[in-house]
Amino acid sequence: MPLDSSIYTLSALRLDGRRWNELRRINGQISTQQAADGSSYFEMGNTKIICTVNGPQEQKRGGGRDQSNEAKVEVEIGIAGFSGVDRKRRTRNDKRIQEMQYTISSAFQNTLFTHLYPHSTIAITLHVLSQDGSLLAACLNACTLALIDAGIPMSDYIAACTTGSMASYADKEDEADPLLDLNGSEEQELPFLTVGTSGGEDKVNVLIMETRVQMARLEAMISVGLDGCKQIRGILDGIVRAHGKKVLQSKVS
Amino acid sequence: MTSLKRSHASTTPTTTLSSKTYLRTLKSGKVQKIVRELYLRQDIPCSSQLCTACLDLAPAGFHRKTEPFVLSATPSGTKEYPEGHYLVPDTNAFLSAMDLFESEGGVFQDVIVLQTVLEEVKNRSLPLYNRLIALTKNEGKRFYVFFNDFRLETYVQREAGETINDRNDRAVRKGCAWYAEHLQQAVKARKSARCPAVVMLSDDKDCLRKAKKEGIKSSNLQDYVSGLPDADRLLDMVASAREQRVTKESKAELLYPDYLSISAMLTGVKNATLHQGIFNVSPYNYLEGTVNVPSFDRALIIQGRESSNRAVSGDVVVIEILPTDQWKAPSSKVIEEEDVGKNENAENEDDAPEGIVSEQERRALQEEVRKTHGRSTEGQSQPTAKVVGIIKRNWRQYVGHIDKDSVRSRAKESRAQQTVFLIPMDKRVPKIRVRTRQAGDLLGKRVLVSIDSWDRESRYPVGHFIRSLGELETKGAETEALLLEWDVQYRPFPKTVLDCLPAEGHDWKVPASLEDPGWQGRRDLRDLLVCSIDPPGCVDIDDALHAKQLPNGNFEVGVHIADVSHFVKPNNAMDKEASLRGTTVYLVDKRIDMLPMLLGTDLCSLKPYVERYAFSVIWEVNANADIVSSTFTKSVIRSREAFSYEAAQLRIDDRSQQDDLTNGMRQLMMLSKKLRAKRMAAGALNLASPEVRVEAESETSDPVDVKTKALLDTNQLVEEFMLLANISVAGKIYDAFPQTALLRRHAAPPKTNFEELSNQLKVKSGLELRTDSSKALADSLDICTDPNEPFFNTLIRILATRCMMSAEYFCSGTQAYPEFRHYGLASEIYTHFTSPIRRYADLEAHRQLAAAIDYETLDASLQSRSKLEAVCKNINVRHRNAQMAGRASVEYYVGQALKGRVLEEDGFVMKIFSNGFVVFVPRFGIEGLIRLRDMAGDGEREPDSLFDAENYFLEIKGEKVQRKVELFQKVKVKISDEAEESTGKRKIKLQLV
Repeated sequence: MPLDSSIYTLSALRLDGRRWNELRRINGQISTQQAADGSSYFEMGNTKIICTVNGPQEQKRGGGRDQSNEAKVEVEIGIAGFSGVDRKRRTRNDKRIQEMQYTISSAFQNTLFTHLYPHSTIAITLHVLSQDGSLLAACLNACTLALIDAGIPMSDYIAACTTGSMASYADKEDEADPLLDLNGSEEQELPFLTVGTSGGEDKVNVLIMETRVQMARLEAMISVGLDGCKQIRGILDGIVRAHGKKVLQSKVS
Repeated sequence: MTSLKRSHASTTPTTTLSSKTYLRTLKSGKVQKIVRELYLRQDIPCSSQLCTACLDLAPAGFHRKTEPFVLSATPSGTKEYPEGHYLVPDTNAFLSAMDLFESEGGVFQDVIVLQTVLEEVKNRSLPLYNRLIALTKNEGKRFYVFFNDFRLETYVQREAGETINDRNDRAVRKGCAWYAEHLQQAVKARKSARCPAVVMLSDDKDCLRKAKKEGIKSSNLQDYVSGLPDADRLLDMVASAREQRVTKESKAELLYPDYLSISAMLTGVKNATLHQGIFNVSPYNYLEGTVNVPSFDRALIIQGRESSNRAVSGDVVVIEILPTDQWKAPSSKVIEEEDVGKNENAENEDDAPEGIVSEQERRALQEEVRKTHGRSTEGQSQPTAKVVGIIKRNWRQYVGHIDKDSVRSRAKESRAQQTVFLIPMDKRVPKIRVRTRQAGDLLGKRVLVSIDSWDRESRYPVGHFIRSLGELETKGAETEALLLEWDVQYRPFPKTVLDCLPAEGHDWKVPASLEDPGWQGRRDLRDLLVCSIDPPGCVDIDDALHAKQLPNGNFEVGVHIADVSHFVKPNNAMDKEASLRGTTVYLVDKRIDMLPMLLGTDLCSLKPYVERYAFSVIWEVNANADIVSSTFTKSVIRSREAFSYEAAQLRIDDRSQQDDLTNGMRQLMMLSKKLRAKRMAAGALNLASPEVRVEAESETSDPVDVKTKALLDTNQLVEEFMLLANISVAGKIYDAFPQTALLRRHAAPPKTNFEELSNQLKVKSGLELRTDSSKALADSLDICTDPNEPFFNTLIRILATRCMMSAEYFCSGTQAYPEFRHYGLASEIYTHFTSPIRRYADLEAHRQLAAAIDYETLDASLQSRSKLEAVCKNINVRHRNAQMAGRASVEYYVGQALKGRVLEEDGFVMKIFSNGFVVFVPRFGIEGLIRLRDMAGDGEREPDSLFDAENYFLEIKGEKVQRKVELFQKVKVKISDEAEESTGKRKIKLQLV
């Protein structure tokens, strides 16, 4: 279905009624699964993810002795067959999933203090229950929450979001609005990128774009993305603090 | 265990979340369930200038521009709503009366278009949606789109068991109620007394009743319009309301068979039990149509009103092949609607149940069947089919005139509503039944109508009147009529387009300094002796040429084309307008430009004695006209002279002229003859089409005479080099962009196209037409001569041209390389490059060539195959329409030139029917039908005749006339003119002498 971009040109409202710079409803919980060392549940609109962290723990494979003196971050993503519009079975070797796994693990490899845990593994498992755009960004945010829950030291939150560019390219090039936090149907039609930062908006950890976009628009898209990451960091921080308060209260009483 | 319940906190203070769930079916038959979030907000303004509260809400987009408020603070009032009113039409109001909303003159202003309505209109009809969007952009009309489905207060959730229509109606009513209340508050805040009413327009009785109950002001269209000034004119523009039809349905007999359901049609087409194609009606017989489908190499015949089942020429239909015993031969008879259906009554409301096929029609067709059977010609019957469904209607607006016999009371003052027949100019379109109150006024005028529907119980489609173009046969009305009929965009360029022109206007000059960015990547070719050769009086000069001898004995030849792409940048308003227009349209007395005058006739035009930007193709060719090397470059040139064909010819022939420019032209002439010889040897076709020029008196531009166009050597000179340039450029852009080059192809005609012509030649002249390749065809056309009749060869060429396919633009990625071939020119690859001022395809080719030589980067729109395909599709249509409009214009003027004169001329019989024949008169390039009926005087019977379809002759055995008419026979005809009853055109009437 071609995205109805005519609504946007008429009203500056997106298909779901948001303005260009609005995030979808974001909701997250920490410690959702007692069995794991750390866990979280995270929603960005209708994209819903469960994340569990196990470790740091000894490396599973006993074969060759691992010489590295920092922990390895292993990520596994399972996308449920019922999560999308079409019921689809994804194999473990799906190239797209592998790439997401690699992106997440390398982002956290540099943010976590892995040198504290030599010869060990931190295993992150993500279950995608429902997807409606911004999948990678939601995964990164869910991981941040779960890793905090697991108590693994890290330098800062990684907060991520997507930005796109309105498709009315045929019109005036310089008036193509950047859009924050795309949903599924927007993602299918518009050029978009995923950006993840740590420390407010100081450091960009992840920046991925798979579609083509005119050079001139990129700058606006990235700056809107950085701003979005800052907002999301605030939301994540709120979730962590609320959880902390609850934990403390239960300790006191 | 923690539960994962969803929290209900909203993200921002102004939005609340809801969601929308719906099912959709894909083309593959798969069903998907889609869940979409919906963020409801309270910051969508009402856009009324009365309201101050909403001013603060004005949305800030990324670029922080705010939209001004549209709805007037003092909207106009009517009798019923003296304090002014805003209109809120529902979907059906727009669907049935878009013309009404578009009408000028202070009515239908201050309209609120609800999002619910807008989306429903879009789902129902895309063209209407586009017209509605255009209305919202029109500042004078003050249309505002209110996004009610995103506003918290006006959002309506569909209830269980509620149909989507009911939900939408409820949303419209809620929107009205909210507006009414909101305005009340606004007015209170301003302390002004006048509060405009919010009036819902709907034709749905149920909805109106509910609105009344909820206290919403509402009205149906009819009542509302009746309260306006000039109501009669406006009322005609409403499509005939469904209500009236519903009441009729109960007693009316269903005349036509029902259509199959969409899914049945799709399955049928998939299984190849049904076929899909475009329905074309024969220009000679309105009861016969043909459909070309891929699985048959010959067009399928559809005969009779019942078989064509309400299809109008141009519709995409689904057809079913009839059993073999019902197959028919293509009609050999001329049947015109005016003859057969003369006495029908447009108002057939109560008594006289109309039959689907009238008695006369049945007789006309039956006669036919009897004749075909009588001759026992099984071999001649062809696959015949009937229409079982319609995929897509291709109805447009039709120009025509009112059948004066169908008007009951002619008095101008009579305001009674009556139903009249409108006879379209296009003979292939059936009469349209129109209800009007102004029949008296409209008699004798050219009018524009559109078809609304064609129900099973009505013999003719029902339409409504849009506007009158003026008196029949006045130049203005006729010109506008033919422009409308061929869908030529003739309105002046809008301001947004003119804004794209260079600010210097006519003072624009090639920059003097070579440092200027305009010179970047351009070669300075100002010292070359360039000249242009065009028809006399040409102002949009696309091309110029030069040639000079090189020291090594070879020649340097250059073709310089106006550099339009320098001025028209991709995707700006001017480019879009040009891509819509597609081509410049040449009529006898006027030109409808693709680009604004400033560019077309001045800045781009390669005028003599001034410097102009150009795009040059320069070859080195040897004395044999073989290309040694070629270069493409942007350049600056200064044309030395602009010749007309005659002037150039005189100069070349004048031996006393020995300057370099003239010698260059002689070299060009020498090379062009060699190029032409080579092209002909490769099998290029020399085709002919009857071309005439209308000589007009210079001041009044009234036509005085008609001349056939003369062809000089200089015409061919220019043509050869343009072909060469086009072919070279096509190769270059295809190398650079194998997937997206814009090219032009001319498919080889299927053998069956020539069957009839070659058979006719064999029978009548003992000549053979070979069609295995273009070379064979060219050679066999050369020997098709008649020593006694020099024109015979041209006649055959004209007929052969009509058997050809038409050439088309395409995007290289969509065809395999062998399919690129241009059959007529016998070239492997071809494009249009040489006329960017008047053809959009050339402009695109310029851009691609500029990117291919790394002059500039290629715009994204030229890299996408789907975009290019859309462009090609449009310009193919525009190109054909432009040709048709041009021809129609010549036809009209030829008629005017001959007005009141009676001449005798030679003619040739081109086609024979069982009750008439077509004669072509080369002197005027006209062809006309002579019917047997016309040979008889008033009140006499049509003369008897014997028609032999196998030997192509018709023997007339009348009381007075006794003669035999054969195909290709030379006859003397008397030419006079008459205003044709059926189309209202002044047409030439031919009579056998």
